[in-house]
Amino acid sequence: MKIVPSVRVFAVTFTAAFSIIYVLAVEYNWALFSYAPATRQFGPLVTPATAGPTMYWYGWMATTAIGAGVIAGLASLVPEGVAKRVWSGWSWVVPIGVLVAFAYLLRGYFMR
Amino acid sequence: MWITLLIAHGLSAFLLLGAITHQAVGVWLPARDRSTHFLNRVRAAPPTSYVNAIIVLFVATMILGGVIYTNYRIAARFTLEQGRFWKTFGAFELKEHIVTIGLGILPAYWYFWRQPLREEYARTRAMLTTVLAFVVWWGFLVGHLANNIRGLGT
Repeated sequence: MKIVPSVRVFAVTFTAAFSIIYVLAVEYNWALFSYAPATRQFGPLVTPATAGPTMYWYGWMATTAIGAGVIAGLASLVPEGVAKRVWSGWSWVVPIGVLVAFAYLLRGYFMR
Repeated sequence: MWITLLIAHGLSAFLLLGAITHQAVGVWLPARDRSTHFLNRVRAAPPTSYVNAIIVLFVATMILGGVIYTNYRIAARFTLEQGRFWKTFGAFELKEHIVTIGLGILPAYWYFWRQPLREEYARTRAMLTTVLAFVVWWGFLVGHLANNIRGLGT
């Protein structure tokens, strides 16, 4: 059986996985690194700043990009028959679902 | 430096907003005739011609926004909190996540807009463009709103 990496499967899986991993990274604070803007210092994983606020956003994106890249890379190796059955619509359905999830998670700000 | 970066971010976002809006209009309301009416000319713009520009501008705008964001966290954010601008504060928090989801959409967006366009992916292209347009409009309007309350240099 010949396996040719599918760019289509990679693109669809990356986008869907990126959305899901990102919301999980935010919710559970899976930051690959942290940044303290007041002192301009980076720290590994979740490192609280010694002064001022701590920013995890960049770390969440790094975690998400690596995770989605690995998952999409593996998914792109599925046999051609399976690859053809991967629905392209996951690339927009999942992000919309995650956007709605974020609106729900942050609803408190809009109800004050 | 921060003001220069903010202006560059705003200009880049403005170009992106124009490109993605043109593409979304071209996708959902394509022109049926070649009249010279302004709205028809907007609708007649070929959606494929914007793809690379949208990807480059999205990434550039996000990088600039990501740099400015460090200043926002140690300055403007406290003003929003102290002034109890909770809706704007929440909208900006949401912007942070919405634009990140937009970034994650770009690989699929690039793939499905590649030439030659395949008819079976027309709905996927339209929806990806629509989601990206929502992301860009949200980012632009909320960024503008937050800047009006406590922009750099105010």
